[in-house]
Amino acid sequence: MTRVLESQLPILVVLLVLGTVAKVSTVRSGGEPGALARLGPAVLVPGHMQGPALLFCAAGELVLAAGLLLSTHTIFRWGTLAFFTMSTYVLLELRRRRPDAGCGCFGEVSSAPVGLRSIGRTALLAGMAALSLWAPVTGWEAATRPSWLMAAGVIALLALSPEIEEMIDRVRYRAPCEQRRGPAESVTLARLRESGSWRAHRDELTSAEPYDSWRELCWRFFAFRNHEQDDVVFAVYLSGRRPAVRRAVVSVEDSGSLPEYTPVSASR
Amino acid sequence: MGYPSVERRRVLAAAALGRESGIPGPDPGDGEPINAVAGEILDVSPHLIIIETPDGTEERLVIAPWAKAWHGGDTPPADLPVGSMVMMRTLRDGRVVERIWADTTRITGAILSISGRKDLTVELDCGPHRGHRSVVIPYRATGRLQVRHPKFEPGYLFDAIGIRRDGAGLALLPATSQPPYPARAVPDPPPAYAGLQPRISGTATWSDTFDEEERGAAYPMLERVDTGCPDVGASCAGLPYLALGSLLQIRNVCSNRSANVPVVACGCMAGRFCDRCVECDTSPRGRIAELSPFSYVELGGDLVKGCFNAQIGLG
Repeated sequence: MTRVLESQLPILVVLLVLGTVAKVSTVRSGGEPGALARLGPAVLVPGHMQGPALLFCAAGELVLAAGLLLSTHTIFRWGTLAFFTMSTYVLLELRRRRPDAGCGCFGEVSSAPVGLRSIGRTALLAGMAALSLWAPVTGWEAATRPSWLMAAGVIALLALSPEIEEMIDRVRYRAPCEQRRGPAESVTLARLRESGSWRAHRDELTSAEPYDSWRELCWRFFAFRNHEQDDVVFAVYLSGRRPAVRRAVVSVEDSGSLPEYTPVSASR
Repeated sequence: MGYPSVERRRVLAAAALGRESGIPGPDPGDGEPINAVAGEILDVSPHLIIIETPDGTEERLVIAPWAKAWHGGDTPPADLPVGSMVMMRTLRDGRVVERIWADTTRITGAILSISGRKDLTVELDCGPHRGHRSVVIPYRATGRLQVRHPKFEPGYLFDAIGIRRDGAGLALLPATSQPPYPARAVPDPPPAYAGLQPRISGTATWSDTFDEEERGAAYPMLERVDTGCPDVGASCAGLPYLALGSLLQIRNVCSNRSANVPVVACGCMAGRFCDRCVECDTSPRGRIAELSPFSYVELGGDLVKGCFNAQIGLG
């Protein structure tokens, strides 16, 4: 029987920690204050309080997770039960008042509007917390003794998580390279310097630092001068660790045609 | 890093990738070209207008019988005051005037403060490189503007067309329906499925913050490090990244004209507007380019309407 009581503790701990991490990273990446406006219960508080509200929630989750993991004190058990019960109510309220807002349970991944599955999940978690109230051991000890009941809990939660589909969609329909934020300029420059094309033509350049650099679509261009004062331009593809590099030399007077076009492609 | 040769980027990029570097200017296959002419009125009569262009030369242009003028409202061309700055749409190599906009200005930005009881004074943040601007809304225009700006409070966007009078901007007409979100909460673009569309549709607007007689566009999707513009890179139209100096091929869907226009500025403010243009049909959401008045007029746009439905491709 004790196995039954403690079986859900590790799941609760993992979920609380995941929730904390996701919320903190959402607040940190969402530099635009209003970007949180479509996320979770935070929409129910005024605009400037949304970031702090998410962080407060994250801190609460972290404390509960630590408590469940390391102690058997009932305050954490009851706290978890209260947290998930309250969450269920808040989500119901959110669904009623702001049908467009996501639950924000796992940060910006949970931006789909709150549905019955999200609510069902918090209700299930509340049930798990209630089951764990009188578990005799800490979460840590329970985690060292996995059981079928734990696996069943995980499967039930996965089935109730709309975020899984969202993540699969994101992998399947990744924004094309042209629309993604590219790697930093220094990273691309380092990749250029690892390329064969660079090694072959390095000595022609007056300086190893480009005098101009810009990004267009999926390419980043670096412009250098060679000893004849012609422009040497390298184009580096932005995706991939060993990207394609192309190079061309354009004389200073020239402004239209392609004088010395060298199709150096995909140098490895 | 400065921009020693932003125009040269186009040539260098074309050479590196082995493609043709496009030529800025209108597409020759568009029928009779429209020329934009700007200047200060020296004299005007029902059939002739004499202006001084920014480079100091005097030009005499014939006013077409069907020509219309706008100076805070539709007026006959002959009633335009001498000394006002005009922007004109002309035919026949810039000899025949078809449309005149006098002292027309556009005020686009995020509202910082609103003061005044009858005539309202609105302080706007027009983006990091355009600074703050203050505009007066005369009492008779407040109702018309507020009905299209339901969130008339600090933090929300504002876009209006008006006239310059004694150095101050007077907002008279709403240029768009105000987006319902705060200026900094730009919605994400719709998810992109299976690669980039070759042409992207949206709305093209104009702005008077370009240099005189400059033909160019401000584009919202530039890399922040390349431009030194901290606010650029937000747009709800799913735009690809380009650079200052890239050539945009812009097509006015309403008038069926297209032109190659270089990107000359970052369109931080244009990217924040997730609105539609209903000039000839309902465009998809999002401003894809903010044109200089010259480019805008030569593409067949009407300054008072404020936008046209546009498609862009890479020139």
